[in-house]
Amino acid sequence: MKLTHITGLALLLLIAACGGPSDDADQADFAALDNTAEVEAYYAEKPDFFSFKTLADLPTDLTWQNGEHLPEMGSPEAKKGGIEYARLQDFPRTLRTVGPDSNGSFRVWILDDVTISIAHRHQDAFEFFPGLAEAWAVDKPNKTIYVKLDPAATWSDGVPITADDFLFMFFFYQSSYIVAPWYNNWYGTQYTNITKYDDLTFSISIPEAKPDMDARVLELRPVPHHFFKELGDDYVERYQWRFAPTTAAYVVKDEDIRKGRSATLTRLENWWAKDKKHWRYRFNPDRIHLSVIRDTPKVFEAFKRGDIDQFGLNLAEYWYEKLPNDDPDVAAGYIHKSVFYNQRPRPTYGLWINTSRPILENRDVRIGINHASNWDLVIEKFFRGDYNRMQTSSDGYGEFSHPELRSREFSIEKAQDAFASAGFAERGPDGILVNDKGERLSFTLSTGYENLKDVLTILKEEAAKAGLEFRIEVLDGTAGWKKVQEKKHDIHFSAFSVSLEMYPRFWETYHSDNAYDGGAFLEDGSVNPERKLKTQTNNLEALAIHEMDDLINQYRASDDREEMIRLAYTMTEMHHEHASFVPAFYQPFYRLGHWQWIRYPKSFNHKHSRGAGQLFVHWIDTALKEETQKARKDGVSLDPEINIYDQFATP
Amino acid sequence: MFRFNPQTIKKLRRFREIKRGYFSFLFLVTLLTLLSLGELLVNNRALMVSYEGSLYFPTYSAYHPGTDFGLDYDYEVNYRHLQKKFEAQDDDNWVLMPIVPYSAFENHAPNAVFKPMPPSVEERHFLGTDSTSRDILARLFYGTRIALLFSIVFMIAVYLIGITIGCAMGYFGGLFDLMFQRFIEVWSNIPFLYMIIIVFSVIPATFSIPARIGMLLMVLVLFSWTSMTYYMRTETYKEKSRDYVAAAKVLGASNTRIIFKHILPNVLSTLVTFMPFVVISAITSITALDFLGFGLPPPTPSLGELLKQGTSTLRTAPWIVTSAFGTLVILLTVVTFIGEAVRESFDPKKFTIYR
Repeated sequence: MKLTHITGLALLLLIAACGGPSDDADQADFAALDNTAEVEAYYAEKPDFFSFKTLADLPTDLTWQNGEHLPEMGSPEAKKGGIEYARLQDFPRTLRTVGPDSNGSFRVWILDDVTISIAHRHQDAFEFFPGLAEAWAVDKPNKTIYVKLDPAATWSDGVPITADDFLFMFFFYQSSYIVAPWYNNWYGTQYTNITKYDDLTFSISIPEAKPDMDARVLELRPVPHHFFKELGDDYVERYQWRFAPTTAAYVVKDEDIRKGRSATLTRLENWWAKDKKHWRYRFNPDRIHLSVIRDTPKVFEAFKRGDIDQFGLNLAEYWYEKLPNDDPDVAAGYIHKSVFYNQRPRPTYGLWINTSRPILENRDVRIGINHASNWDLVIEKFFRGDYNRMQTSSDGYGEFSHPELRSREFSIEKAQDAFASAGFAERGPDGILVNDKGERLSFTLSTGYENLKDVLTILKEEAAKAGLEFRIEVLDGTAGWKKVQEKKHDIHFSAFSVSLEMYPRFWETYHSDNAYDGGAFLEDGSVNPERKLKTQTNNLEALAIHEMDDLINQYRASDDREEMIRLAYTMTEMHHEHASFVPAFYQPFYRLGHWQWIRYPKSFNHKHSRGAGQLFVHWIDTALKEETQKARKDGVSLDPEINIYDQFATP
Repeated sequence: MFRFNPQTIKKLRRFREIKRGYFSFLFLVTLLTLLSLGELLVNNRALMVSYEGSLYFPTYSAYHPGTDFGLDYDYEVNYRHLQKKFEAQDDDNWVLMPIVPYSAFENHAPNAVFKPMPPSVEERHFLGTDSTSRDILARLFYGTRIALLFSIVFMIAVYLIGITIGCAMGYFGGLFDLMFQRFIEVWSNIPFLYMIIIVFSVIPATFSIPARIGMLLMVLVLFSWTSMTYYMRTETYKEKSRDYVAAAKVLGASNTRIIFKHILPNVLSTLVTFMPFVVISAITSITALDFLGFGLPPPTPSLGELLKQGTSTLRTAPWIVTSAFGTLVILLTVVTFIGEAVRESFDPKKFTIYR
């Protein structure tokens, strides 16, 4: 019978999914193409955007800077060499870094964490130190940044990096060939001009002079024109399995790609930045071998066997139970456990309440929901007290985060009072509150985080005490995201990941333009009766407050740091008053287990790092590896090491 | 009065003689009885509360706020606490709790954090707790109940559709048969698992959990009835050409009468034989779907969900996977034994002269 095959079917499905991409894509023949003429025509077509001048036109009153006062990143103790073994969750579906399927877990290894931009934020000092640039100058009144490239900078194939690669970057990201609308939009609207002065000198202008305007430009990464000469309509297929020349220390060789199984990165012996400050002590292993292991429990087994060098222990279950301090390998000192407290903007974990829903539009109900959500219990019992309660939706931005505002505490009385003022005063036969119309106080609580579904069941049990019912809906990641993007949720548990930025963004999540189509408000500030809910935006609360819009516009236009901080506080308070977001928790650290041959600097890592491997400050002690393996075989115990690096911990 | 015909009685006697199957059957019946009385055995609501002279039976009643029993909160009473409180006060008040005093949903962590706790008779967590400190026995108990109920309803539904359509195809034949067969071929080629995943992912959570389980059941039935029709169609074809059907026709019996009175009883053995195996497949499929995360909506207790938890905590909490796996094995073995016994006792070859 058909049904008896379901388990088999499910298995088959998994096996098929493990198969990875087929080999034929890179074998196909593509017609020769040279787009040089097309690119030049494009530049000529947009003279306002692409300008060509000479060094004589370069302003003379610029203050050039190169961040030379910043302390060096990485540790001088670092040794080059060795092979690091790590895990990939999925085999990449392409080696492209933009376009369809490119935004996978492999991209950090070939783009995000390894390639070099014009300059980089120092991960302790927050200021910029040179990457591809030798020096740069900020011209605030003219909203322009000038850049002098390092003459030594070359692509991994030896071709020098020039201003042309930055001009081409705009062509590349603005073109429709790459099938990446987000890039088209960002590079088409967030920059207004690039001017080439000579091969190594250029300037880029942006529309608004924000306090962090330098980041907009300095974090750009060039695109190698000589490699993308064949850029055309067939970009997606043509470049599917071609590794582009890179500014990074690591390259992927064709023979190191075993489709569906593994990929290996190889360090360039004569990398152009190998002796540069901030770069010379990083990117240490000779090779990084990434094998595909899908399930986390299996990765852990591989790690325990020593097949993988490091394993993230952020989950309490792993830190306390699966790799406890008295685990034989930990107690014998073969595996080290490290906790590192970092400082950076925190992902906004919380309950996003859709205020356009019938009962949820009532502020009293939302306040009740805030008081009926027992995050303290979740943090204390589920996360074992390791995490902290989030206070606002913009925690971790230093001065830009509100210093005093506190999220509402769990209180059955306060929740019931709030519900009662919204008309929900009587309990029904199942203990859930009802109003005099007979409506139950019951909402769908959805999430796309399968691994955190237990958190929701805890909240559900606790909320029932206050007479509130959560109907839990656990979706897979994509379906969950689709649901909130279509604004079909009541209450959604989710988080926006945030990058290391100076100040929080408000427009995306709280501006009425992102809540309603057709104008949320009329001229006089009253609610437009004809407004329609806007989908596909990040305003998950359907938050539309007229005064907030004004503040956001001021904030976006402001170039004064103090004013922006003041505005950020006011908006955060307003958002708190609106009670449409229940702040959940944040993890103030990251922690991992690593075999002792993986060495870290004395202070372990840098203040703003988001993960231990992100900055590649670790190295492999190959002699120690042999020693450890021998000691383990002979049963010789070493000193256990469980290290807590809390120098950047905030109280 | 309804009476079995001697043939059937013979078959039933034969079934009783196959001890393995018969005892499995008795076991399953006992289990079903226990499961249907579940709330009296595994529940965090008390069986009986005696408070200030009056008796309360909270098991099946509406919820009692704490204020009913002199507590200072108005949400559902925690009867375990109440029991302790009454014991400490040493009045005439008392609470009688079920054997397992936990519901399948509450997080009960005597050791402060939510993590799996090994089996403990003292805490009355007879099979331990799962990764969020919910009682495993309670979850297994209700999980099994849902799985069994699910599979029985599934079987009935599949049979109803399968028999109706299969019989009609076999009996009427001709164009109807031809068209319907093509339709079934097309229908059964729709990728079944994907359809369930897709359909279930668009069912909004605004429906209550029983309604969502009902919908999952409907979707499963919708894609599973086809195989039953093949058997029914061929059986009906075979029986239709027999002389007794022709005789009935000549005597002027209606189609309905012929199908229900003459043909169906004669294909009964086929139907009965498949029954336990359909139940098995339903249990496996719902468990597999749960394991993959596409089955019963959380926090519904389910075998698949426990299995999934168990596989990720093999080293640290082996009691989770053992309980879930053990239950599944026992359940499937029992039903298989029954199925084999039924098949053997209903096997027509036992009673032929060609042996």
